Amino acid sequence: MVAVLGGFLLIFLLFHMSANLLILLNDGGAAYSAFCNFMGKTIAIRVMEVVLFGALLLHAVVALWLAATNRMSRPVGYHKPQKSKTHTTSKLMMWSGILIFVCLIMHFYDFYMVKIGLVKGEYMVKTEKLQDEEMSGIMQLANQMQMTPSDLVAAMKEEMATMGGDDEEADNYIESITAKIKVMDIVNNAYTNGNISADKKWIHRLNAEEKAVIKEAFPDSDVEPDFYYMARKKFKVWHIVLGYLVFFAVLFVHLTHAFPSAFQTLGLNNYKYNRAIEICGKIYTWVVCLGFAVIPIVIFLSE
Amino acid sequence: MHFTLHIWRQENAHAKGHFEKYEIDNISPDCSFLEMLDQLNEQLVGDKIAHPVCFDNDCREGICGMCGLYINGRPHGNDDGVTTCQLHMRKFTDGDEIWIEPWRAKAFPVVRDLVVDRSAFDKIIQAGGYISVTTGGVPDANTIPIPKYVADQAMDAAECIGCGACVAACKNASAMLFVGAKVSHLGLLPQGQVEHLDRVRNMIVKMDELGFGGCTNTYACEAECPKQIKRQNIARLNREWIGQMFGRDRKN
Repeated sequence: MVAVLGGFLLIFLLFHMSANLLILLNDGGAAYSAFCNFMGKTIAIRVMEVVLFGALLLHAVVALWLAATNRMSRPVGYHKPQKSKTHTTSKLMMWSGILIFVCLIMHFYDFYMVKIGLVKGEYMVKTEKLQDEEMSGIMQLANQMQMTPSDLVAAMKEEMATMGGDDEEADNYIESITAKIKVMDIVNNAYTNGNISADKKWIHRLNAEEKAVIKEAFPDSDVEPDFYYMARKKFKVWHIVLGYLVFFAVLFVHLTHAFPSAFQTLGLNNYKYNRAIEICGKIYTWVVCLGFAVIPIVIFLSE
Repeated sequence: MHFTLHIWRQENAHAKGHFEKYEIDNISPDCSFLEMLDQLNEQLVGDKIAHPVCFDNDCREGICGMCGLYINGRPHGNDDGVTTCQLHMRKFTDGDEIWIEPWRAKAFPVVRDLVVDRSAFDKIIQAGGYISVTTGGVPDANTIPIPKYVADQAMDAAECIGCGACVAACKNASAMLFVGAKVSHLGLLPQGQVEHLDRVRNMIVKMDELGFGGCTNTYACEAECPKQIKRQNIARLNREWIGQMFGRDRKN
């Protein structure tokens, strides 16, 4: 049970790690954002998310239950500590597992809770969802006059006031597009600050207020968490980087035993393949842990 | 050689035990660990100091599986591939402190001092470690229709003497190496293959029932086994356990 669920988690980790490496691409987040968008939208992936959480919890619960019953098998312990030659990591499985759980709480606080809306983070939105005729008209005019959209509207309003006359109609019109004008300001700012992905498909680094504004003006725009910039921001702080490196070190200890152990428990080995399984396990563990660790390190050093 | 011994003394199964300290002198480096204990007992009885220290032993040549002491944190002491009776005092240095404890496991209750009741192993064997029909005398090796390597594997597994060092070494007091060895030595040969899946199920169910722990792949058993039974026997046991779930329909 522990082995089967653990095997599933091993596959997930490899997948998660390779996806995360997209963050290191120097494309302003285009590839990673597109990937996150795909992950957020696909029904199969949403279902897998539930399965994954179930597997993780079950893996932990069954393992703890096993550890408890195993402990009961020796009610009176030895006076002298054991000196047999054993795989040290195998004796640390429970403790490394508990540590991984603690680290996962940190990880969820940083990223997953933003996704389900419990914690505020940074957000991103697809540019194509923010386009309509009114928007592009005012945007073009603002660009020509080299003003921000809200300044432009304010100026127009002022002009109308000096001209006098019955401007109630104009006021009403301006009122009706206030929300959109705010969005235009946000878009404009994103362009001037360079918070736009290389392929111009995504506007990045929106805060929670901006998210609310966009949601109001364009209800079907799907503002998503901006994991690309959140990661880049978090990994500039040394203690977060250190926290994650400790996480990966503990993960390394856990996986070192986990990979060959899963094969042993399922009986999927024999004299012929044991060496191969051992080598594959080592490669897997190093690749996954280094792959994860390289992201915070590179981001931290590049800033 | 001179040693300071700390030995677990326990009046009976229900009494509370404790460590007793004994000094012993004039030990030859060539004598075995059990001979050293014999010498101690003579000293204890001769000088009327205490009752002799009880410990299990029989053949004293490493084939019966009776002896077994947890010496300085290792079952059968500080040597590989030997039983306690084959452990020589030259493996220690003069003046060493030696801690001697009985096997510790829920399924192996202490009877007295260093003697434990290992009948749990017999119960596991009774649950399936046999072949139900008479298979006749020993056939010529080349008349058994199996390749040499299978015969070798069965023979290696059959080396298990049931001493219980695997249980004593395991942090979970698991008997998986013992059961794995028995299942392999019977199940790999054609005579035992017919009942193989039932044997696997019955022996494992019995093992759990008797209060042995589960395997968490630490491999202390393999490191401490005096007959160096391999962990691959545990993998085989796991494999056949999964196999028996789907392998044979007992109804119908």
